[in-house]
Amino acid sequence: MQDLTITPEQQTIQQKAREFTAKYIIPVDREWDERGGFHEFILAENKEVGLNCMAVPVEYGGPGYDSVTQSLVAEEWGYGCAAFATTLAGNGLSSYPLAIAGTDEQKKIYYGRLVDGGMGGFALTEPGAGSDAGSCATVAKLDGDEWVINGTKCFATTCGHASIMVVFASTDPDKGVKGLSAFIVEKEREGVVVGAEEHKMGIRSSNTVELRLKNVRVPKTHLLGKEGEGMKIAMKTLDMARPIVASVSVGIARRALDEAVQFAKTYLDVNGKPIAKHQAVAFKLADMATQVEAARQLVRSALRLKDMGVPYTKEAAMAKTFCTDTAMRVTSEAVELMGDYGYSKDSVVEKLMRDAKVTQIYEGTNQVQRIVISGLLLNS
Amino acid sequence: MGYAFTEEQEIIQQTAREFTQGCIEPVAAEIDRAAIHPQELVQSLAEQGFMGMFLPEEFDGAEAGFLCYALIVEEISKSSGAVASILNHHAAMAAYSINAWGSKEQKDQYLSAMCTGEILGTFAFAEPDAAPGVGEAKVIARKDGDSYSLNGRKCYVANGGEAGVYIVVALTDPDVGTKGMSAFLVDGDTPGLSVARTIKKMGLRGCQSAEMLFDNVKIPANNLLGAEGDGLAIVAKAQAVAGVAEGAMVVGIAQAAMDDAVKYGMQRIQFKQPIARFPAIQTMLAEMATNIHMLRLAVYHAAGLIDNDEPFTAEAAMIKLFAARIGQSALIDVVQIEGGYGYSEDMAASRFFRDIKGVITKNSSIDFPETVIAKSLLD
Repeated sequence: MQDLTITPEQQTIQQKAREFTAKYIIPVDREWDERGGFHEFILAENKEVGLNCMAVPVEYGGPGYDSVTQSLVAEEWGYGCAAFATTLAGNGLSSYPLAIAGTDEQKKIYYGRLVDGGMGGFALTEPGAGSDAGSCATVAKLDGDEWVINGTKCFATTCGHASIMVVFASTDPDKGVKGLSAFIVEKEREGVVVGAEEHKMGIRSSNTVELRLKNVRVPKTHLLGKEGEGMKIAMKTLDMARPIVASVSVGIARRALDEAVQFAKTYLDVNGKPIAKHQAVAFKLADMATQVEAARQLVRSALRLKDMGVPYTKEAAMAKTFCTDTAMRVTSEAVELMGDYGYSKDSVVEKLMRDAKVTQIYEGTNQVQRIVISGLLLNS
Repeated sequence: MGYAFTEEQEIIQQTAREFTQGCIEPVAAEIDRAAIHPQELVQSLAEQGFMGMFLPEEFDGAEAGFLCYALIVEEISKSSGAVASILNHHAAMAAYSINAWGSKEQKDQYLSAMCTGEILGTFAFAEPDAAPGVGEAKVIARKDGDSYSLNGRKCYVANGGEAGVYIVVALTDPDVGTKGMSAFLVDGDTPGLSVARTIKKMGLRGCQSAEMLFDNVKIPANNLLGAEGDGLAIVAKAQAVAGVAEGAMVVGIAQAAMDDAVKYGMQRIQFKQPIARFPAIQTMLAEMATNIHMLRLAVYHAAGLIDNDEPFTAEAAMIKLFAARIGQSALIDVVQIEGGYGYSEDMAASRFFRDIKGVITKNSSIDFPETVIAKSLLD
């Protein structure tokens, strides 16, 4: 399957990611889903092929891939396993705040860890602050030359294994959203405590933990941007992250489609003919394929806007919503089409369906995306 | 909700509701986690009279009708899809078929014991890699004097390994293909019948799914259910009846999940108010409430047709089609409303999400429901 709409360089990297996924992820996807725990081994392999710090610019030791290239890689990871993709793409997500607001010194610290093969984390959500990020109860107070951070984050992706994180805390709780600030926090800082791990229905080998910060002291210089810019940084980060989540979702959907096509071609009906010969089945596959293609192109067009340097917030939110909804729908249809086999753990599609559900929830629920999209529609 | 139930139906519904709350709800999550057949609980179902609810009193059934049975299945499904699934394969698939097609001797031998819970029943129809009777694993029954011997493999056998009697659909005349299929009553302890492996699945995990090996399984010729060649007709009828009961399962699971989402939505505060106050959440709840109500009406209606001995095949197929369409979408929305919390394995929502998929996934159906419905329109 050669994609002629992308450049030869992009094709080469896509191919590399595809081979990486086929070699290291697909053979163990169901095993890791079953046993849970963190698939730490993939980090070294990912570093080996040079996909570990995709979002890091060339001057800081990264490959400096354009956005479309990053999305091609994310789709391949998603095709393999959404849990692995969440870890690997999360490394990019956690570094976006640096790209948005980091100083040269901050970038050297943060990107340095990623280039060395370390993981980055992004801690925004709290028990009382999900979609409503402004209700953040984690507080940072300046004490001499240091910020002292206190609070509890939840659903923090990869934070049990991250070497460095971006943590959001309020520097002025009275101001709500406008009092939110972003900080770089290294794992080894005293008072950083990794709490209970979530047992999830899907993406089970992705690490999701509670993160407690007890009098965590970081240098004054670890504040990203200015005080009160946290929400702005978080929103821009999510703008950048959404097309990547969307791409992972396209990968999930494409895998489900491939599995369903393979099944339909080989599973024989009562007359001894492949079920794909039934128009009802063939049309279902056609619809699934159409949705996957439409989803992929919606991400691409959002990312082309981004690479051109023009506003793409609305398109990114549209891509996130449409692609994740597509992943949910297509995986669900694949299970149904494949019947008892699809529902059993002999097949991968039931896992794809469990995995797909989280994509509608994380990185801003699809309800939040609709707030973003409708806001831009109605207020422009 | 003002359904026109008889007093008996209301009492049975209430009994099932209390039994479910008291005996199933406390262990439902554990049944899912352990994925082990809940033997004691199944025995209590029998003690409640649930396992023979619509079967004749002559054979120790309650003879209370299929609507009563659907009401029980709906209630049980509110706590455990797995337990409802065990019951359905036993009652709506196996016991129904024996009552509908069995000889006097067969009924005497099996039905009472199935109503009292002494024998758990089920169907063995699906085969690996192809429709039954088509693939390499196909089960063939060869007649030899006054016995048949069965060879081949069945898979996705619900209650597999736990059942005392299996209705096995096998080829008796391979030359005419699947038209030459017949149904047999095979005791669970018949030599040559064994569980090759237990199949793990996404949900309904307390209801076993087994791949079963038939290695020269020899049964008396009078264990043939119906006549030779009746196999597919027996399956089609059983799947139609079970389809109505599965509709009741989808109603029960979706209702319980929706109730859970409403509770969560009223407790979860974001932007200084319960999220259930947001129109976006209310729209999802309104949609699922409407769909559940419509499906429930269709299930009660079709159950009434069964009780009145009227044709119900098209209605059963409509239930299958509609349940598949609205069941999963309700659960996708319930988990969405509950967000990261609903996605947790420790929460009921994620279990309901996995379970409902197993009910609506077409279980090696002979026909697509669309085909059955269209046929009723065109013929």
